Amino acid sequence: MSGVGSGYDLSVTTFSPEGRVFQVEYAGKATDNGVPCVGVCCKDGAILAVEKPEETKMMLPQSNRRIFTVSRHCGMAVPGKLPDGRQIVSRAHQEAEQYKRFYGETIPTKVLCDRLANFCHVFSLYWSLRPLGSAALTASFDDQGPHIYLSETNGVSYRYYGIAVGKGRQGIKTELERLKLGEMTTREALKVVCKCLMRQRDESSNKKYEIELAWISEETGREFQRVPEDLAKQTVEDAKKEIEQEDSDSDMEA
Amino acid sequence: MSWSPYDLNGGTCIAIGGEGYCIVAASTRLSTGFSILTADKSMILPVNSKCLIASAGFDGDRSQLHKVLTFRSENYEHFHKKPMSCPAMAQMLGNTLYYKRFFPYYTFNLCAGLDDQGLGCVYTYDAIGSHERVGYSCQGSGKDLVQPVLDNQLKAPSILELPPKVAVTSLSKDEAIETVKIAFSAASERDIYTGDAVEIFVMTPEHGVQKEILPLRRD
Amino acid sequence: MIPHCQLPSHIATGPHVSPFVSSPSHAGRAEDLHVPSSGSSAPFSVAPSADHAEASAGAEPRKHTTYPYVTGNSVLAIKYKDGVLMAADMLGAYGSTKRYKSVQRILRVNDTTIVGASGEISDFQYISNLLDELMTQDFCYDDGCTMTPKEVHAYLCRVMYNRRNKMDPLWNSLVVAGVDKTSGSFVGSVGMLGTSYTDSHVATSFGNHLSRPLFREFQRDDMSLEEAVSLMQEALRVLFYRDKTSINKYVLAKVESSGVAISKPFALDTKWDLKAFVNPSKHAVGSW
Repeated sequence: MSGVGSGYDLSVTTFSPEGRVFQVEYAGKATDNGVPCVGVCCKDGAILAVEKPEETKMMLPQSNRRIFTVSRHCGMAVPGKLPDGRQIVSRAHQEAEQYKRFYGETIPTKVLCDRLANFCHVFSLYWSLRPLGSAALTASFDDQGPHIYLSETNGVSYRYYGIAVGKGRQGIKTELERLKLGEMTTREALKVVCKCLMRQRDESSNKKYEIELAWISEETGREFQRVPEDLAKQTVEDAKKEIEQEDSDSDMEA
Repeated sequence: MSWSPYDLNGGTCIAIGGEGYCIVAASTRLSTGFSILTADKSMILPVNSKCLIASAGFDGDRSQLHKVLTFRSENYEHFHKKPMSCPAMAQMLGNTLYYKRFFPYYTFNLCAGLDDQGLGCVYTYDAIGSHERVGYSCQGSGKDLVQPVLDNQLKAPSILELPPKVAVTSLSKDEAIETVKIAFSAASERDIYTGDAVEIFVMTPEHGVQKEILPLRRD
Repeated sequence: MIPHCQLPSHIATGPHVSPFVSSPSHAGRAEDLHVPSSGSSAPFSVAPSADHAEASAGAEPRKHTTYPYVTGNSVLAIKYKDGVLMAADMLGAYGSTKRYKSVQRILRVNDTTIVGASGEISDFQYISNLLDELMTQDFCYDDGCTMTPKEVHAYLCRVMYNRRNKMDPLWNSLVVAGVDKTSGSFVGSVGMLGTSYTDSHVATSFGNHLSRPLFREFQRDDMSLEEAVSLMQEALRVLFYRDKTSINKYVLAKVESSGVAISKPFALDTKWDLKAFVNPSKHAVGSW
């Protein structure tokens, strides 16, 4: 009976004497150690961005998607374990469709994200289940305006101006805090978000990265869309150039 | 006045099996009551290179039946790595119809093609699946007009003869096609549900399946 | 009996409840007691209705739609050179009453497909929801593919046939029209039994009698938009003159490879200046 959890970490149905449920915390680590995902809420819409390292040279780009469309007005990025994330997305589809069928209106984002959090929470209540190693980073545009929500595996769901999960999230969050996202348009913020992600890259490894971008704004007709391929490519290139420029500037100062 | 799940959309089909050929023909008019829905609806399902199915009766059931048969024949082909033979298809069609014995497909079918000897074979059915191999047959709204003509013209040995003879017609392929054309022209004179055009499929071991369309009265 | 002339039974009889029946055990002989077979057996009762007792006893089978309530009439559609044209009036009739006069019976499904419906309006609204969900699923797949008119038609054929198999039909005749990038224009129809066909022109209900003869004579697949519109207007005018359950308020929809356009409601010019109409009582002495 030694180690981190001292025997209290084997089941989601057992609290530790300090009142913690270790299995749920470990599940959260799966998200924390996964690919970085960012969601930001702007003046006229919201953006989701995921940075994925190239897993193998033989894999076709864009074939390992992490951003999914849930309904016309809503989409989500899934950090952490992708198969677990797909369960959440699938549930989100059902919830959105069922709500529309019943009430004739699109599901309010808060309702959707709360229900997804509840869905995740259920997995931490029974010894026969394992908590999901993923979360739902939701971007949407409903009659209340644009939203970014994060529904986590432990069952909480909060709304954010901007949020990052996965590897390097602390650094990204600090950068996001410095920005005036509420005064930016999604088009302007696109490059800024890319820069945030790129700055947190592990400089030592020579891995290639792919950035997946999706947005929803007045410009897209309040429809959740992947950022068009050429624009996404251009944005990433511009971000790269600017980072290089800024770095050389700071070198000069030093 | 109560609702019925059935309708009769009319149409006539004929199949003739000969030595080294098989003919399947069906009119293309789709009707309901005294209205014509369309002048151009095929009633023939070309299952594969060896087998054709023509169905008259209720169009909704026909579409469903043809879908089911297509699916099963494709499945058979994947498992057996060869197309379904006409006698096999005929047996399966009978089973498929009988499976819905108490909510029948309201379709009147002919299954025709070439057997392993290259001999034309024709199977004729009722709506609930009982069937018989014959030398020629016809089904649908014009069958009362056409069947006697075929009996008279095809010069096939009677199936009542003992010892039994192979019931295919002694007519040549071209003569048989001509008979089919005349039979349809005649049926379209008196049967309001037969008209507009007739699709004629001719199957031979040499040329596979060939299709011809003959226009009929449009009134 | 003409189905439209009969009021739905529960409206004709009213929701009255007989004070003579208090226990469900009498329900089996409801007809003898002149009690309507539907409705609960006691006033303000929340107990399971007598219907359940009857159904479980096998006294009366479960009933499905046997006639429509609020109906739309003809839908017309034709092909022309660059696409397809569809038209329908905006009436929702309650039997022979012109009950609703702004019912849009033409639905845009996606950028290539439209669907028009005659028959029960509520069933069409249900079908609209099905199609909307289908298109949302299509959108969520996000694979750059959308359903073609042919696929929508095939889907609706299955829906209609499936419901007739359950002896619970959707009381509609549907028209699907659109443009497919590879195979060109498409016009097809499916009825409540699952009877389906495609053609260069289709028309449902009265339109099959009054408009299709015109289409057979004048419609060509290579006609221009202007020709197609004037043919459609002529067909609608004939329908309006002869079909008493139609109104002079139409919607015209067009699909070309550039997309779907559905018009605002419009009316047609009509002429009623037949001499016999000027003084209709002239030849009927003694009438006023």
